[in-house]
Amino acid sequence: MRAPLLLLLTAAALCLIPKAFGAPVAHAEVDATFAKANADYAAGHFPTAIAGYESLVKSRQWNPSLFYDLGNAYFRDGDPGRAILNYERALALDPAQPEARANLQLVRDQARALELSGNWAEQHLAYLTRDQYAWLAAAAFWGAAAIFCGLYFSRRRPVVWIFALLLLGTISAGAACAVYELEAGSAGNDLAIVTGRNIQARLATAESAGTVLLLPAGSEIKILSTRGNWLYAALPNDLRGWIPAQSAEPVRL
Amino acid sequence: MIKMTRFRLFFLVALLALAATQRVRADAPNVTAVLTSSETEVDRPVQLQIKVTGDRSATPPSDISVDGLDIRYTGQSQLVEGRNFRFTYSFVYSYTILPLKAGTFIIPPQVVQASSGRLRTPALTLNVSPNDDGATTPRRRSGGGSSALDEKKIVFAELIIPKKTAYVGESVPAEIRLGIYTRIPHRLVEGATLSGQGFTAQRMPNPEQSTESINGRPYDIITFKTAITAVRSGKLEISARDAKAIVQIPRRGGSRPRSPFDIFGMDDPFSNDPFAGVGEQKEVAFSSEATTLEIKPLPPNAPPSFTGAVGLFSLATDVKPKTAQIGDPLTVTATISGRGNFDRVTAPVLESDRGWHTYPPGSSFKPDDDIGLSGSKTFEMVLTPNEPKKAVPPLIFSYFDPLKEAYVTLKGDKLPVVVEGGATAPATPAIASAFTTPPPVTARPTAAPQAQDILYQLTDHGPWDQNFTPIFMRPVFWTAQTVPFLGLIAFFGWEMRRRRLENREGQRLAAWEHETAELQRKLRRADDPPDQYFAEALRLVQLKTALASRGRGIEPNTVDAETAVAAFDLPDEKRDRVRELFRRSDELRYSGRPNGNTTVAEQTRREVLELIDSLA
Repeated sequence: MRAPLLLLLTAAALCLIPKAFGAPVAHAEVDATFAKANADYAAGHFPTAIAGYESLVKSRQWNPSLFYDLGNAYFRDGDPGRAILNYERALALDPAQPEARANLQLVRDQARALELSGNWAEQHLAYLTRDQYAWLAAAAFWGAAAIFCGLYFSRRRPVVWIFALLLLGTISAGAACAVYELEAGSAGNDLAIVTGRNIQARLATAESAGTVLLLPAGSEIKILSTRGNWLYAALPNDLRGWIPAQSAEPVRL
Repeated sequence: MIKMTRFRLFFLVALLALAATQRVRADAPNVTAVLTSSETEVDRPVQLQIKVTGDRSATPPSDISVDGLDIRYTGQSQLVEGRNFRFTYSFVYSYTILPLKAGTFIIPPQVVQASSGRLRTPALTLNVSPNDDGATTPRRRSGGGSSALDEKKIVFAELIIPKKTAYVGESVPAEIRLGIYTRIPHRLVEGATLSGQGFTAQRMPNPEQSTESINGRPYDIITFKTAITAVRSGKLEISARDAKAIVQIPRRGGSRPRSPFDIFGMDDPFSNDPFAGVGEQKEVAFSSEATTLEIKPLPPNAPPSFTGAVGLFSLATDVKPKTAQIGDPLTVTATISGRGNFDRVTAPVLESDRGWHTYPPGSSFKPDDDIGLSGSKTFEMVLTPNEPKKAVPPLIFSYFDPLKEAYVTLKGDKLPVVVEGGATAPATPAIASAFTTPPPVTARPTAAPQAQDILYQLTDHGPWDQNFTPIFMRPVFWTAQTVPFLGLIAFFGWEMRRRRLENREGQRLAAWEHETAELQRKLRRADDPPDQYFAEALRLVQLKTALASRGRGIEPNTVDAETAVAAFDLPDEKRDRVRELFRRSDELRYSGRPNGNTTVAEQTRREVLELIDSLA
């Protein structure tokens, strides 16, 4: 009985060793790259700054500040589509980051970017983030499970505990539904940003097909499917159409 | 109660006997014949009814021939009449008479074969006048087959278009009227469709139904309404085609229906139940005559804002909110009302969109009639001002008026608004230039924050290696779930163990109680030798002591005299007796059993039992 436990603890310790000793060395390099990119930005060398930030993005060293600063650099470099994309990424990592929110709003207004309208549920679920709803669902579930076990073994079953069980069960189910709605909604996993300029959404996968909507850079779309070099997407104004795959990038990496 | 029942039974029997008597009296058969109307006109049928009373097996005439009249057997019905408990049973044989020409006709007496002999109907006179068309004979007769009535008289279709000329794109109302002769059982199977080329038609809503008298004949009229729009100029030939109805035409010949219980209408030549088995069902397809519409092309030199709307329209506009900042959205509502081809009515355009950014409009149409020819179409356009404004420019909408035969351009009012924020707009030249043409390197903006500019860079950062995976798809989330899961499992296991232990303790106590009861029964018997008797008494005291102190986990075998004394609240005298019992038991156990079958004295046994009973 004790041998497996010992093995488990040893494995956990081995896993933690790189975090404890190897991480600071790698993060020192990342910090240096980040600081240099910030210096380039401050000096007005925006393409250089963008290259520095993008190298960090490619090495999967992500945090909200990185994407926010990258968004600023793209904005200064005259690319509002990618600026909006990176602000969205910063907010995807930290939905409460006020700077990213403010800049996103400003750039979106400047670029006349179109936004997807969330459905009723999404508009009324803005009190918590998707991850917070996930934790809430889990906590309420375990609370309900504990009360259920207590009631199962108890000789007396007070009404107040039964009520608590129902309440926590409802909260858990509601939070799980909220997670699903937010994940599948307009700001969910399939959200993408148009990075090309004035992209025409079309009725079919051909440049000669009829147009559906003109999408300014930075407009939000929701990717529904992919066919070759074309994306079929839900567009603002409740429209749907095909756009070239290279003209949009998903928010989540 | 029994008397009452007997009285009712007697009354019922008497009633039936009386009815039977009357029935016997009514058995003498007779026959009458009547016409539902002795006056009619050509093509307007009347009914002949031959009523035979008092004979169930009468045979009506199978064929009645009168020159100028088409007489057909349509069925029979049974009639039961009661008057003063006198019931008569009659059979009514019905014939439809369709006058073929005007004049006075005598229907001669008809012979009815009854079981008692031949009965004769009276002769009847029918006056037939020409119909409203002045025809003294039917205008058309079917060529042959089993159809007895003229299909043109039974069904008709007509296409009504109120105009003879129209313009390309102009929506013209049209009505398809399908008529079916009311007195013929019928069912419309399929409505007519518009046939022709060079036009489009609106989807036809549910038809209206009414009854009309046409040339003195009642018709069920089904009216389909639509609107047609020509797509090319020239002559347009339109007709309503391929309407289909199933009608029932009376059969020639007087064979009686198979079932004697078939009931037919008495006042109508046909039953109200369509296709109930009388006559012949026939599917009739009918179409209207072609109608010609002259389509004229729209005149040249259409205004730029003309998009194809033809009709008569009016324009109303509004804007909300009335005050805004630069870049804030304003919603302009334009309502185009009137009559015309609303499917070609598009959103009005701004007279000048300089300084405004426009988004694609949304629209909704509220029709005022069934076919969408008149109504109101509302457009909502979102505009964002790029600079300070005092009004939204007027909206322009052009259409072609077919009455005036000219293009009309409607111009909405200037919509006053207050757009502020102009002082800060020039503060973002760097941003504006960034969107248009890449500025030279020397003109690159600095990172210094400005009004209406993006915020500063962030040099502080949180932990690296963050990712976009939702928390519920990360291992840490599910690892965290193991904590409450294990807690729950531990709680479950602990609770199960506690229950099991409780159960084991209960079983042990039950065994002690069982042994206690058994020993008490044994001690009351006088046949045990003293050493066994006192050993059992000692064991009983130990058990009672263990049961009395069950919370302390005392085993019976470990109970000595002092433990037993301490477990019970006993007076000193009884304490001594408990000690004496333990001492005596030990003495007998270790000193060996005396010779002979001696037993415990009655007095001693009573005292021991009394002592044990007091241990509670």
